[in-house]
Amino acid sequence: MSTEKAVIKLQDVLNLGRSATKLMPINEVEITISKKQISLAVKTILKSGIWHLSAITCQQLEDDFILLYHFWKSDGLTLRVRLDEKNPQIDSICPLIPGAEYYERETREMFGVEFLGLPNPIPLLLPDDWQGGYPMRKKEQPSQDKPKDNNRQQKGKSS
Amino acid sequence: MSKFTVPIGPQHPLLKEPLSFLVSLEGEKVTSSILRLGYVHRGIEKLAEQRTYIQNIYLIERICGICSHIHSTTYCQSIETLLKLEVPKRGLYIRMLLCELERIHSHLLWLGVLAKNIGLNTLFMYAWRDREIVLKIMEEISGGRVSHSVNIIGGVRVDLNETHLSLLQKSLQELNSRVEEILHSIENDRSFQARTRKIGYLSLEDIKRYCVVGPVARASGFDIDIRRDTPYAAYDELNFEVPLMTEGDVWARSILRILETIQAVRLCTQIIHNLPDGPVSIPAPRRVPAGEVVSRAEAPRGEVFYYVRSDGSQNPARLKVRTPTLTTLITLPGQLRNMQLADVSAIIAGVDLCIACGDR
Repeated sequence: MSTEKAVIKLQDVLNLGRSATKLMPINEVEITISKKQISLAVKTILKSGIWHLSAITCQQLEDDFILLYHFWKSDGLTLRVRLDEKNPQIDSICPLIPGAEYYERETREMFGVEFLGLPNPIPLLLPDDWQGGYPMRKKEQPSQDKPKDNNRQQKGKSS
Repeated sequence: MSKFTVPIGPQHPLLKEPLSFLVSLEGEKVTSSILRLGYVHRGIEKLAEQRTYIQNIYLIERICGICSHIHSTTYCQSIETLLKLEVPKRGLYIRMLLCELERIHSHLLWLGVLAKNIGLNTLFMYAWRDREIVLKIMEEISGGRVSHSVNIIGGVRVDLNETHLSLLQKSLQELNSRVEEILHSIENDRSFQARTRKIGYLSLEDIKRYCVVGPVARASGFDIDIRRDTPYAAYDELNFEVPLMTEGDVWARSILRILETIQAVRLCTQIIHNLPDGPVSIPAPRRVPAGEVVSRAEAPRGEVFYYVRSDGSQNPARLKVRTPTLTTLITLPGQLRNMQLADVSAIIAGVDLCIACGDR
């Protein structure tokens, strides 16, 4: 099984104990790594013949941000990175996997996680003039009332 | 040569859904393009955190108007894993039946859109006429043509009766002959070939670098199909082939999707012949235990990915959706480069975008 080999190789290369792995349901192995190890870990995974990155999930746990890099080749392999600073930053993996660009851009907009070396750091989903903060953060609540269109129309008329 | 920029979208007759391309031209040749998403971004991932697990089934279905069933299937699958529920076989088979019907409907819809974009209006009408057969079956089974709301946590809410089965049997036979007829006419049609061959090329290397999934990846020779590689529902009990092509252009994608449609029709026939007896669902507890789960399924456009984290409360703490369109969108600027402006419409249609899925 290629995923098992990749997991053992990762643990050796990154000097992780065997205990750093955890099983998630549906053939999924999870490995916790530190944020400095991300490039090395992705390189090792690519070398083991796993090149499909399914997604990057970001989530907020209390004050920390958790990034999950979901790789797949018949079985899933997930890298878990915890970012515990106020202005979360991590190296971009786009130089290694160009397909990660949209995932990283989306995470950047929605959570405010900065990816260092992201080739195209412009908004992807949110409007160019968006000033509403980072919508997916826990403190942000979706507004219950309708968008205020009146203001926009007035602005349009006066200008 | 004169250089200029052509905006395609957000609202454009070429596109079914809003998406913005800024295509830079040198004469007729595309030199570069800038892509912008987000015109149908509804913040579904955030909304899901405010709703209960059961309310979310219906929210998730509204991500997409074409492949709504596969979204709720993947979502219910992940919640069932968290709950450690064993869904009855009959429920799983009905789920798969709807998945495959949806694949037929999506591929025929796509064929119509491609045909319209390259000026083959007859093919467009044939494809959409035949799509109507599937829509009728789905309406008969679930009550809805595109949003079925068939999935519930623990199974499905509808059962198949004798009327459904005989309708299915009759319609599937008809569909099979019609799709084979379409395949035959496309393969031998010179104008179809002239408009689709050698455009929008993606090499196997590109597919791997951009993590592309689904028919677009398979048309470039990347053998990936979640149904076969990580079987979900009861796909491991069914026999099917995964068509594979190596040309990597719009033509290969078209032929591959039609071959897939034929496979899907066969799968549906297999499902109704082997339909197990018994209940279609089991009652599910309302409270989901804390935990994390990753779930994948093969949507008509490729791998759809769900991540759910439960903290034991009545709402999910995080729900992440990655749809196959996001993976193909990123390859579009590369596919358009050095192409003629007239081919842009065929290339955009060829990758089968679902913008509502991509934006969420």
